[in-house]
Amino acid sequence: MRAVNLIPAAQRGGASVGAGRSEGGVYALLALLAGVAVLAALYGHARHEISSRRGQAASLTAQAQQAQAAASQLAPFASFVALREQRAQAVSQLVASRFDWANVFREFGRVLPPTTTISALSGTVGSSATTGSSTTSSTTSSSSTSASKAAATVSSATPPGSVPTFTLTGCATSQAAVAKTIQRLRLIDGVSDVTLQSSTATAVPGATGSAAPVGSNGCAGSDPVFSIAVTFEALPQASSASAATTVDASVPSGGAR
Amino acid sequence: MTGRDRIVLIAIAVLAVLGAGWVLVVSPEKKQERKIAAQVAEAQSQLASAEGQLASARQAQQQYQAAYASIVSLGKAVPASEEVPSLIYELEQASNQKNVDFSSIATGAAASSTSSATAAAPGVAPTGFTQMPFTFVFNGTFAGLDHLFQQLDDFTQRSASGALQVSGRLLTIQSVKLAPATDGVTAGKAALEQLTGTITATAYVLPASQGLTGAASPAGGASSASGSGSSGSPTTPAIVKANP
Repeated sequence: MRAVNLIPAAQRGGASVGAGRSEGGVYALLALLAGVAVLAALYGHARHEISSRRGQAASLTAQAQQAQAAASQLAPFASFVALREQRAQAVSQLVASRFDWANVFREFGRVLPPTTTISALSGTVGSSATTGSSTTSSTTSSSSTSASKAAATVSSATPPGSVPTFTLTGCATSQAAVAKTIQRLRLIDGVSDVTLQSSTATAVPGATGSAAPVGSNGCAGSDPVFSIAVTFEALPQASSASAATTVDASVPSGGAR
Repeated sequence: MTGRDRIVLIAIAVLAVLGAGWVLVVSPEKKQERKIAAQVAEAQSQLASAEGQLASARQAQQQYQAAYASIVSLGKAVPASEEVPSLIYELEQASNQKNVDFSSIATGAAASSTSSATAAAPGVAPTGFTQMPFTFVFNGTFAGLDHLFQQLDDFTQRSASGALQVSGRLLTIQSVKLAPATDGVTAGKAALEQLTGTITATAYVLPASQGLTGAASPAGGASSASGSGSSGSPTTPAIVKANP
């Protein structure tokens, strides 16, 4: 009996997959369609993203423009506050750059020994341009004089680095009292140097004690007249004003207004 | 051509078609998408910046009344004009309080421009005050003059917390000279205690280009400061006049 192969010749072993009647064309078409579908999906997604993001960008830009317009409308407020801050800092620096005259005079009164009397005291900080002939006298005049103003835009009249110096002239009961005065003046806080300029006793025959006649130098009897220069440390650099210098506007008392 | 070769060719053709579709159609859109995304990011950044500016501007608007009061208060220390009568009045008041005789006032020559200790907030042009030198003469006791010097400093002072307290003109004393009074009015021991204090001091005024409250101050809300202010819309700048 002769064996018969019932498997169709096209499907017998060894035949390639897809090697059917279309010879793989169907699979290729399917792959092509699938690829096109993926591309179409990607394209659609990209178009959708572009569209939505364009709208988002336009919306954001419009919001930003609105905010900028509102901010520019309120800009005068910001510049006004900046002006206030700037002015407060400038005034604050000027206040901080001043020399404490009252404290120094109190210190003089505290350290000077009772054996000395002061006949004249003068102090200067920085360069003083208003002396002597440059002033125009007007005794307690309330007329609105046009004070000459410095043309330059400067700040403190006692700039940092200025050295306060004082000159004391007076009488002492003895040269030892002058020496003691020099030592006592060195005790003042902030004093950098105390220099004796002169200490001269004029001999007056028979003049002793407090009952002695006043000599030509203004001192009693033969008491020495002295002149001492006191130099203070230079004014410090103004500390950098804080970012927000506050102004207490509710302190009208104590002043003259 | 065998069947396998044909399949390979077909696959290559399919891939070529898909590649061409990607390069010609999808890729440009993707590129456009990235470009738009960058634009969105930039717009977001601009919006954040603008919102920050707006927030600070609104904060400044809220601070307006306090700032206006501060400016007016600072105008007492550094007025917009010379205000010599006001200064004389203040000195007279202070000397009376300290039992010191205010003898004379003289305007001095222009001070030399020496330093530039001007304050400048970030991004703000520095302020330059104009100096007005004066020479004052007072008669009184040592203690009275000492107290007067303190009073002059206290016109404008800084508290321990750093806040400015303004009750009068800002004065910088440059020199002081004390000498026995020679007016002959008082006699005896009191005459010996009387001193003549000659003070050289500098007052300050705002530059001519600046008004007290600036050229155009915003009149946001009702002005809390003294003076007549035109109250317009909250965002409308207006000129406000005030007398310190």
